[in-house]
Amino acid sequence: MNYPVLKIKFLIFIIFCLLFFASSVIAARLYLESAKNEYHLGETFVVSLRIDTEECINVVEVNLNFFNDILEVVDFSKGESILTLWLKEPTINQKSGLISFIGGVPGGYCGRIVGDPGLSNLLGKIVFRIPELIAWEVKDTAAVGFLDSSQLFLNDGLGTKAELKTEGISLKILNEGFVSEENEWQELIAKDNIPPESFEIEIHQDPNVFEGKYFIIFDTTDKQTGIDHYEIFEEKVGREEWQISDSPYLLEDQNLLGVIKVKAVDKVGNERIVEYRPQRSTFSYWIIIIALIIIYIAWYIISEKVALNNNKI
Amino acid sequence: MVTLPYYNKSIIALVFLILLALLSCPVFASVQEASTNPLSTVCGNGVVESGEQCDAGGSNGPCPAVCSTSCTTNSCGGGGGSVQVDAPALETKVIIKGKAYPGSKIKILKDGKSISIIESDSKADFKHEISKITPGVYNFGILAEDKNKTKSIIYNLTFLVPTNTIITVSGIFLPPTIAFDKTTVKKGETINIFGQSVPKAEIDVRILSSEIIRKTTSDEIGAWLLRFDTQSLENGYHTAAAQSWLNSNEKSGFGKALAFNVGETIISIVKGEESSDFNSDGKINLVDFSIFLAWFGKENSTYDLNNNGKVDLVDFSILLSYWTG
Repeated sequence: MNYPVLKIKFLIFIIFCLLFFASSVIAARLYLESAKNEYHLGETFVVSLRIDTEECINVVEVNLNFFNDILEVVDFSKGESILTLWLKEPTINQKSGLISFIGGVPGGYCGRIVGDPGLSNLLGKIVFRIPELIAWEVKDTAAVGFLDSSQLFLNDGLGTKAELKTEGISLKILNEGFVSEENEWQELIAKDNIPPESFEIEIHQDPNVFEGKYFIIFDTTDKQTGIDHYEIFEEKVGREEWQISDSPYLLEDQNLLGVIKVKAVDKVGNERIVEYRPQRSTFSYWIIIIALIIIYIAWYIISEKVALNNNKI
Repeated sequence: MVTLPYYNKSIIALVFLILLALLSCPVFASVQEASTNPLSTVCGNGVVESGEQCDAGGSNGPCPAVCSTSCTTNSCGGGGGSVQVDAPALETKVIIKGKAYPGSKIKILKDGKSISIIESDSKADFKHEISKITPGVYNFGILAEDKNKTKSIIYNLTFLVPTNTIITVSGIFLPPTIAFDKTTVKKGETINIFGQSVPKAEIDVRILSSEIIRKTTSDEIGAWLLRFDTQSLENGYHTAAAQSWLNSNEKSGFGKALAFNVGETIISIVKGEESSDFNSDGKINLVDFSIFLAWFGKENSTYDLNNNGKVDLVDFSILLSYWTG
């Protein structure tokens, strides 16, 4: 019997088992994908950030680094993202070559369902651009990868961290001429003529927020290119222009006398404006006032009559 | 008879005027008006917009196409007479149907926000249609409340809703609700575990810490009860969850895991649903998230749901797992 051969076969078997079982306990996978593996100087393209998961997850923290000697980040689109609450909005640091965000899915995301007509596992889209000219000594590949600080949490009521595997992307940069044509991002922008989804403004007061002062909350999504920003207008604060801001927003008009408007704007500039109009109360309010007036008049008449009777006596 | 002095009349008049002034203050009612500003209407994008009779996207064209390239309905007829072909109703709709608990209130969430409250029938079946929906990827949640006002987990589904398509989602089977008659018991004492499910279903109750599974059945109104002897459990913190079976093809997943203690010492456990309702309005929603935002990264024992000394991502995850919309 050839023991060295048997030993090798056994070792291969063990390694195979370890690899198999190791991969089968990974709860989730974060990965990047692009339409092509190679791009030209001067080209703009999109890299999609996606998730596959066996268990339900509800919080995603993503920290990416990218080769900023070659790649420039043009934008980050949340348009088709499964994340609906953003604890930290996508932040791009071109100088450090970092992209980061923290988002959540109330009730959890449990993976793609059977029969799903589309790829509904997207977290976001990063729009990259390669400059027309780059230094000759720069490498001809550009990588985008996940930092170890990226993490996911399970929707188990305990905040358990999920086992995570990440896959970055490496792109070949072609040092040759490029004839500009409409890219994926431009196509998406051209097609988007739908404003953000409708939403409501809510006024609240809480002793632990803004020292108990009135504030408003609002939230919506844009299913095409994604929300770019929100703007607020308060009628009674003496300013004509809108202010860019986020939810929750501390109201300047703490007397709540004027109209409050919130404008949601998507990446293309489509807008949805919602107004909040403080209003006097309705029917039952007037009934109370009329009743008080009647009571006062009746009391006045009776007291005058009593006074008159007393004088006669 | 005693007369009222003049200054009493003045006092009463003053009180009345103050009351009138207070009632004159604005009462906060929400009048929400909205306007939109799409940049342009596009024929051929597959969305029926203002001024269009139809829009089948790339399928617009001359007969036999239903919709023309100018987004008007085509009249396609043959020789010897005219036949009007009515365009089919081009709409984007989602239909959701499944099983919850008999006569239960069911909240439908879209991207975390409550959009409808419906009721299941006596057999626990429910169905709901969502129309006038913009095409895109959505997260739909179903949250049921049983007759004891115990809530289910949010049953979440994420999928793409394409343009001009009716999507039917069926086979939803909500896990049973679960509750205990006590949360701390001595070893060997019985703990009653109960809840609601579909009528006449087999219920598996799993003690997660020890992999024990006990079975019971739900009655004709979906109520189930298991009297569990804790003798086989070690002292300490345990969790239990339940699953329903109608047959081998129709079963739910495991529902909410609920915690209880065995033994004298009460072990501190992660704060649950009530603690996540930061403003105590009976809901865990955007308001609570806004309060959480204000304290994220800081120290505050109220919002530190896992008691680790800081308000962090673990607390964010716990908050989202108890979301009610």
